[in-house]
Amino acid sequence: MMPEFGRLAALARKEMIYFLRDRVILALILFLYTAEVLMCVYALTLDVQDLPTAVSDLDRTVASRELIDRFDQSGYFRIDHSAAREAELEELLDRGEVLAAIVVPPGFAEDLTRHPPASVQLILDGADAQTASIAQGYADRIVQQLARERATSPEGQVTIEHQARVWYIPELTDRHFTVLSMIALAGMMVGVITAAAGIVREKEAGTIEQLLVSPVRPTELIAAKMIPPLVVGLVALFPALVVAAAVGVPLEGGLALFLLFSAMFLLGSMAMGILIATFTETLQQALLMSFFVLFPVLFLSGTLVPAESMPQWLQLVIELSPLYHYLEGLLGLFLKGVGLEVLWPRLAATTLIALVLLAVALGRLRRRLG
Amino acid sequence: MRTLVGQVVWKEVREIRRDPVTIGVALLLPLIMLFIFGSALSLDVRDAPLAVYDRDRSPASRALIEAFPQSGHFRIVKGLRGEREIGQVLDRGQARLVVVISEGFSRKLERGEGAEVQTLADGSFPATAMLVLGYADGVLQAFEAERVEAAPPVELVTRVWFNAPLESVNYIVPGLFAVILMAFPPLLTALAVVREKESGSVQQIFVSPIRPYEFIIGKAIPYAGIAFLQMLMILTASLWWFAVPFLGSVPLFLAATVVYVLCTVGLGLLISSLTRSQLVAMLLALLFTLMPSFLFSGFLYPIYTMPLMMEIYTWLFPARHFIEISRGIAMKDVGLAVLWPQLLLLILYTTVVFAITARLFRKKVA
Repeated sequence: MMPEFGRLAALARKEMIYFLRDRVILALILFLYTAEVLMCVYALTLDVQDLPTAVSDLDRTVASRELIDRFDQSGYFRIDHSAAREAELEELLDRGEVLAAIVVPPGFAEDLTRHPPASVQLILDGADAQTASIAQGYADRIVQQLARERATSPEGQVTIEHQARVWYIPELTDRHFTVLSMIALAGMMVGVITAAAGIVREKEAGTIEQLLVSPVRPTELIAAKMIPPLVVGLVALFPALVVAAAVGVPLEGGLALFLLFSAMFLLGSMAMGILIATFTETLQQALLMSFFVLFPVLFLSGTLVPAESMPQWLQLVIELSPLYHYLEGLLGLFLKGVGLEVLWPRLAATTLIALVLLAVALGRLRRRLG
Repeated sequence: MRTLVGQVVWKEVREIRRDPVTIGVALLLPLIMLFIFGSALSLDVRDAPLAVYDRDRSPASRALIEAFPQSGHFRIVKGLRGEREIGQVLDRGQARLVVVISEGFSRKLERGEGAEVQTLADGSFPATAMLVLGYADGVLQAFEAERVEAAPPVELVTRVWFNAPLESVNYIVPGLFAVILMAFPPLLTALAVVREKESGSVQQIFVSPIRPYEFIIGKAIPYAGIAFLQMLMILTASLWWFAVPFLGSVPLFLAATVVYVLCTVGLGLLISSLTRSQLVAMLLALLFTLMPSFLFSGFLYPIYTMPLMMEIYTWLFPARHFIEISRGIAMKDVGLAVLWPQLLLLILYTTVVFAITARLFRKKVA
């Protein structure tokens, strides 16, 4: 037992030296875990705020100005153009200078008091459907608020009081989610690519034959290959934790559970990489193939698009993705502050997927090398 | 001179033909990406899991609860019996929204006193939470409106331009043209050159009479050809399979595509001039072509919300400009009169990329 362990340790040491020698790769991995995460946090949001809006006030009354003011003050719309005619609005929208336009028709104030309902027109640029549909909701809210305040008859008064609360992120920003999904994506990419490259490089150079005629067993070889990416992947999480805490997303759950979860996830990602390596002969092929595999995996994970928005059959496919379970785990650990008692099914699924992938990859590799 | 370029092209074409993985990735993956993104990339929520805690248990409260699944946005997964269960269903992710109807709901509703309904959304998926809360608001307002006789004093009439049904696929697909072309051509081109550097065969090329720029052009042509073919494939597939409307001029779009294709290949060559390791080239391509074209191009995340520094950063990535062109042509039916700045920028960008690349290669040789 002892010499075998010594052999593994020696191999792992060799791999570690080889891996750490390439400073550029380490720098790029660090960039992925810190700067890229930070940029995404600051830049990416799907919420609507200060939407560039043009206004065409054909009524020019106190009431119409008050309405426009409400849009401007809401924080959702920013009125920075005003147009006298519809043709001008059209041009602004065509050029993408504004993404919404409000048209107050003539006679708005009179309709409001004498012949309700008075109507207001909102034109949205549907070229970004997501922004348009959220903006529509906000505009509805603004106008309804006005309607409620204006309602004079007792029947028109508020009958339902809706109190909405958001759990985990009361201010409802994308920031928390973005940090965590970027960390998960980084782990996936690093795991798959480094593992695939590590094995194929040896195959391409022909050094794998030399290793195989040595007393090293294939399993030991793979284990040694997996140690450096695993260690680097886990160490890279610490700067990422600092970045996350700096933007207000501290780890609420246990650190040990977080590391265990991440280790299982990285293991699964690397197993995918090894599996890719068994299908390819050259580094170029392995890298292209990783790309081929990473794409659907990254996408079908709930990281970029929530799983609920997907068709039913894809929601079933997603259950097979280690990234999906890991992300749910991260959301639980960081945002909900829950522990193993809630997250054990996610951890179990991540581990199970990793083990199955690993078993398949090892089986294939042994057959091909044997 | 011409023939030397031709020979590099011919050698590259033969190498590509020999490699089934490269051909497969180059031709299959764009279609797979288009299919997955086109059919599944929607941030809409249908059938969000909803838990209900009805503390009133009256006909009115039951009518309100039924209104939620009827809206088409919710699916009731659980009826809760106590306050404690609210936290549990949200923690476990069993429900994205919990509706709590307070005691005395129907009594207060009758008297017009403001019957309380509380909604609790799971904010861990913010995009979903925003939409779900909006839908819940809509359900409550519709419920209220049914019980109120008088018409509201103001109403909002919304018109959506360029994409009236607000279909996600109509704006995702024109954006995908830019993203897909940034995914492969740069990587393929970069690997093709770096591979020769790694194996050392590039030295033989540099001692041969071929000049560096001839080598670059020779490498660029086949991959630009593949990239253009990819665009034709995904354009055909999206018009035919997804039936995405394409309102504007196809020739103008293809002309812009030629520029963009050269730009993507140029970026691949630029990456290849920076490194001698295929793994580094791959990571560079991932970090500086694919991810930005996905994240910082306006493809999914709107640019106008970004802080100024990040908005400047987005200018570095040609996908941003090409998305404006392709959405402009396909969705808004605008032409050069509106899109000339973007097209000019792309041409400039491409020229600069090739100039830098040629310089870097020359230095290596010297």
